[in-house]
Amino acid sequence: MEQDKYLCPYCLITFESIQDLRRHIVAEHKTEPLPVSEGQIKLTINGEDYQIRVEPEWTLYYLLHDKLGFTGTKMFCDRGACGSCTVIMDGRPILSCMTLAIECDGKHIETIEGIAKKEHPLIEEYVKYHCMQCGYCTPGFIVTAKALLDRNPKPTEEEVKEALAGNLCRCGTYPQHLKAVLVASQKLAKHGR
Amino acid sequence: MAEDFKEMPNNPLEHDKYAPKEFKVLGRRGITRIDGYKKAAGKAIYTRDIQLPGMLYAKFLTSPYPNARISKMDTSKAENLPGVRAVLRYDDPEVFGRRVVTTYGGCEDMLAGYAYFEGQQIGAVVAADTEQIAREALKLIDVEWDVRPFVLDPEGALRSGAPLARPEWADNNLNEVPPSPLSEVFRIGNVEAAFEQADKVIEFKAVRRYHGGADTELPCGIVRWEGDCLELWLHHQHPYEHKWTMHKYLGVPMNKIKVNAPYNGGMYGGWNWIAYSQIATGITAILAKRTARPVKWVFDRREDFVFGSADAMVTYFKVGANKDGTISSVKLKSFYENTGFWAETHLLENTRIPNIEAENVTARVNKGPTIALRCEQLPGCFVMAHVFNHVAAELDMDPTEVALKNDGAEGKDINYLNKFKRKHGFPLRDSLRECIEAGKKAIGWDKKWHPAGAKELPNGKMHGMGFIWSHEWDDNRGAGVAGVFIQQDGSANIVAFRTDIGVNAETTYCQVVAEELGMKFEDVFFRQQDDVYLPLMTPDGSCNLTTNSYVLRKAARKAKRRLLELATTEVHLIERNIAPAFPGMQPEDLEVKGSEIFVKSDPSKRKKIAEVVKDMDGSMNWGLEYAAIQCTTHAPVFAWAYHRQGRYGTEPGRHRLCRQAHFCEIEVDTETGKIEIKKIVNVNDVGKALSPEAVEGQQYGGTYMGIGRNLNEEYVWDPCSGVLLNGNLLEYKWATMLDIGEIETIIVETGMGYGPYGTVGIGEDVATITTYLLESAVFNAIGKWIDDGPITPDKVLKALGKA
Amino acid sequence: MKRFAHLNARTLDEAVLYLRRYGGRAKIIAGGTDVLGRMKDEIVPTYPEALINIKTIPGLDFIEEREGSLKIGALTKLEDIARHPVIKAKFSALAEAARRTASPHIREMGTIAGNICQDIRCWYYRAPNNRFPCLRKGGGRCYAIEGDNRYHSIFGASVDGGCLAVHPSDIAPALIALDAKIRTSERKIKAEHFFEVGVCKTNVLEEDEIVTEIEISQPPVGSKSAFIKFAARETIDFPVVNCAATIVGSEGTVQAARICLNAVYLKPYRVTSAEQAIIGKTISDNSVEDAGIEAVRQAKPLARNTYMVQIARTLVKRAVLACG
Ligand SMILES: Cc1cc2nc3c(=O)[nH]c(=O)nc-3n(C[C@@H](O)[C@@H](O)[C@H](O)COP(=O)(O)OP(=O)(O)OC[C@H]3O[C@@H](n4cnc5c(N)ncnc54)[C@H](O)[C@@H]3O)c2cc1C
Ligand code: SF4
Ligand code: FES
Ligand code: FES
Repeated sequence: MEQDKYLCPYCLITFESIQDLRRHIVAEHKTEPLPVSEGQIKLTINGEDYQIRVEPEWTLYYLLHDKLGFTGTKMFCDRGACGSCTVIMDGRPILSCMTLAIECDGKHIETIEGIAKKEHPLIEEYVKYHCMQCGYCTPGFIVTAKALLDRNPKPTEEEVKEALAGNLCRCGTYPQHLKAVLVASQKLAKHGR
Repeated sequence: MAEDFKEMPNNPLEHDKYAPKEFKVLGRRGITRIDGYKKAAGKAIYTRDIQLPGMLYAKFLTSPYPNARISKMDTSKAENLPGVRAVLRYDDPEVFGRRVVTTYGGCEDMLAGYAYFEGQQIGAVVAADTEQIAREALKLIDVEWDVRPFVLDPEGALRSGAPLARPEWADNNLNEVPPSPLSEVFRIGNVEAAFEQADKVIEFKAVRRYHGGADTELPCGIVRWEGDCLELWLHHQHPYEHKWTMHKYLGVPMNKIKVNAPYNGGMYGGWNWIAYSQIATGITAILAKRTARPVKWVFDRREDFVFGSADAMVTYFKVGANKDGTISSVKLKSFYENTGFWAETHLLENTRIPNIEAENVTARVNKGPTIALRCEQLPGCFVMAHVFNHVAAELDMDPTEVALKNDGAEGKDINYLNKFKRKHGFPLRDSLRECIEAGKKAIGWDKKWHPAGAKELPNGKMHGMGFIWSHEWDDNRGAGVAGVFIQQDGSANIVAFRTDIGVNAETTYCQVVAEELGMKFEDVFFRQQDDVYLPLMTPDGSCNLTTNSYVLRKAARKAKRRLLELATTEVHLIERNIAPAFPGMQPEDLEVKGSEIFVKSDPSKRKKIAEVVKDMDGSMNWGLEYAAIQCTTHAPVFAWAYHRQGRYGTEPGRHRLCRQAHFCEIEVDTETGKIEIKKIVNVNDVGKALSPEAVEGQQYGGTYMGIGRNLNEEYVWDPCSGVLLNGNLLEYKWATMLDIGEIETIIVETGMGYGPYGTVGIGEDVATITTYLLESAVFNAIGKWIDDGPITPDKVLKALGKA
Repeated sequence: MKRFAHLNARTLDEAVLYLRRYGGRAKIIAGGTDVLGRMKDEIVPTYPEALINIKTIPGLDFIEEREGSLKIGALTKLEDIARHPVIKAKFSALAEAARRTASPHIREMGTIAGNICQDIRCWYYRAPNNRFPCLRKGGGRCYAIEGDNRYHSIFGASVDGGCLAVHPSDIAPALIALDAKIRTSERKIKAEHFFEVGVCKTNVLEEDEIVTEIEISQPPVGSKSAFIKFAARETIDFPVVNCAATIVGSEGTVQAARICLNAVYLKPYRVTSAEQAIIGKTISDNSVEDAGIEAVRQAKPLARNTYMVQIARTLVKRAVLACG
């Protein structure tokens, strides 16, 4: 669906194009053109730049998973309650189902695909410790764990637990994650990243 | 050489006589799971991830009422919404009045014009360019509902004057459609006479509230027509079965149906198990035909809350026991919601209780279907746990003692079982005793267990120890077909079709083939999702490994024979003959190990499998080094096998021999009602652990699922409107990482399973039994029964008289 | 989600202007963790025409100690508050409330202003597609009163005597116990006076008013604060009951106390009777027992939530004890 009308927030007149709206605002309201989101955003995903037009109601999950093919990002709940859709945005593990794509202009995003491409030790340890059954939650856990290790390369078991506490695993693989993350952090310490 | 492979048990009651003495691959730790990297790296593809060119999205109208009929429906506004490509109505000719038999028992309307629970998918289905448009279109459908009174509780539903829960197809609320048992009374012995004799007779009632909501990946499926061929992508546990149902629904011959079974997010039985979701695929096929586009049906999370586990039930107990801890008689009356199962099964299959009387009454209520959802044995565990908990408490006995006193089968004691083991070739081990001893040691039972309500901790909380036991799920049954194909480079494929639900089966099957064929594990590969037409047992019950390993073992042994024949047989080409790899030898003279063939009497004479199977003439005599592309000098090594194990595990006199025991240590905060789980010990006698890490995964995972149910999981309906209030993952509470302090897993391997190598299944049992673990621990902590799961803080406080 | 317009505000004035122009038909989006859930489920009949993004306004994300008080910008993430060394040391009730809110991910996204401005969680109110058009949506009745009210008010109702929905915030009681002030684009309001119940309304903000900053004075010497939460699970879940307390003079006798419960009433519920019960006493098992009893003396639980009374009483005791 296209955005069909551009609305002036000062007087609620609508315009056909963003340029018309700009001109109107400068002329009538004596102010700089408004930064009305045109829906064009630029963002960096796994170190690569993207420029794409998004609709206001698209979530970041939708953009990544459905539009850009980063299908490693999963979704259980679509309401912020499970962590399966986690991506790293500017260093923070965030929920892509509760983030508007249009608000990601200029952001740096890291998905599971990026983490795997870097051959982050978490991947290997997750496989080794059988941290997956159905595997649907696994990317969300690894992304969350990666954000933790970026910030805190030597977490204690308690800290790992706390960091992963927002990720649900219906298959109940929880205890296996703790081992994998701790071993991965030791590997990072030994070999650098 | 004889085709027939006798190296399988002909008698499903017998122990596997043909297991190797020592194992090279099976049972080893550290074998890299085949799905591991794919799943960790986000490369594993699930149906939800798949988009086909031109694909439309189908969404179902859902009923806002628990019991209602559509009296008028106007879909014109929806049809006119831009982006909507088709609207299928319940009164359209393709579906109107059409009831289809489901593979699960009973019938369903293909697309009903009425609803018998709130949220039911009925009335109309929209196919549109995007999910968002489909959702908007559904809102534009004007429906006039004939809203009818509803009933939510099973006992109420059976009282006279109760509203009819399914007025369209039943004139009462009693459900005796399979798999629900008939409400006739089951009897062994004479309970009444035994009550007279018993030292103690106790009566009580227990409740388990409706729960479910299992899956991770949301329900979905894709349908595409290619001329008269149908192609499906399924998020479903039984992909092969879809060929049959689609054939039945749509008249397409089975040989023109291709099924893709990508990885599955979650899958514990339930929705994706039952025919209900096969119907969704059938409906979508109709839409795909109408629109000439591929169509994907999708549910959102709220729409996924349409089914529950089969233990939504109330049971009234009367139990007689003797002072020595033996239980003499049990009388049960159970009321189920929508689907019943036999509540007495575990008492029957596990114990020497000689007198049992059970009545299983199933009522139809205005809630979604209940179904085997990890698993149908929940009612059996529910009943057995409550019987043993109450007897031990009433007799002031250690519950582990009571368990050992009553171990047996079908009213007969452990001595009888031991005789059975001897007669049928099983090792003579006391599984329950071994499990209990290992578990008690791990949790420190002898030091920590105490009489109920007797131990207040320095932190003011009450300390409790819990215990539960039962048999293992030796559901060794079913049938499968599979082939083993050795490629010209010496690598082997398993040729078979099934679906993945995360139990590491792809890997374990390769281990079986590697073991039996003498290959290295790395040289065997299985991509189970490819539709190669040969259906292996698909995840079902806990029997896929136990049955499929027989199939694969048979196929691998046949392939090995072929391989050795090839190694010893001259190949005749038109103008010349090529000598065998091992001239002058017979297959019997050779052995295979580590992907190499060698002479038994002189192991220094050896060749790699790759050398033996490769094209002998260098690709059609062109003298090239690579293997033939167009054709080969000899038939490839390929063998297939079929195996059926027993008669769905229902052979008379087939006793379950392996046991499991679970222990927990908890603290109860009597000021808030909070239950803190400090430690859980799982002990499972799996017979033989073919993949120990996978077994542990099932122990951990089952425990989290079971404990989540035990503590929190329940559907909450508004009593006034029958609307589900907590259909989301915030208010329907799965267990989190923080819900259990520590889990210690112990694997016992007595070899007493009916499966190959003496193994039994473990996929379902831990989750099923631990759903009832905490009842005993809470009683031990506070001295009050809370026989009403889930055990939430309000119930704890109420039991303590504080709420 | 249904279509809406999206506007990035560059300055506070701009955001206010937008709000004014849309006259109640636009909503602010900060972290979005609450507002997007509401929109996805279309719980109220009026879907916002526009979302005004305030994350594009510079200078609203900070934690500073200035002029003897702690200042926290409206856009500060809960995770940053939970980890901040000064907040942990001097304003422990707030740090702990932030640490116990929701899940790590929600804390990385959710802002402090968004938290105190969040909507209620009554499961009738939140049922998708406006299934229950209740009093809080301008409808005619409350569905919880005869329905399943296990998570509803234990201190009675409001909005024309009907609504029983509790305020769900973990941060709010901490701010009230710490006597925080909330600065908006218009004014400065005491946290205690910030919450107000109305149709689609949980606070006193005007339609075009925006929270900019939270201000907390340095705690008096010898004071301590604490926060305790009770929820079904240790993570992700909203509180069943929570309680924050600040006690001045904890070493010897209590000179002053501020105790606030939440998730028990329509607004955060300051329990002055419990405060009175503890003032002048030393903190001990006995004295906190009295405070607990006083805190719930006025309770009028519903059919399904009497247990919350016991929990509230316990949390009051424990919060005060934790200040000892
Ligand atoms: C799964 C889940 C679990 C949760 N658990 C908890 C919990 O345990 N405890 C708890 O307290 N909360 C919980 N929450 C609520 C969570 O949304 C808040 O904690 C969060 O802080 C809200 O902040 P936000 O910035 O995301 O708000 P937003 O969603 O951006 O905004 C919330 C509301 O506040 C308004 N608003 C935002 N900023 C301002 C401002 N500066 N001025 C005026 N109005 C403003 C918005 O218009 C909107 O109406 C949970 C939420 C979810 C989804
Ligand atoms: S408690 Fe309030 S929000 Fe909930 S149904 Fe009643 S009026 Fe509506
Ligand atoms: S899908 Fe985003 S948090 Fe669950
Ligand atoms: S592995 Fe299945 S949900 Fe975690």
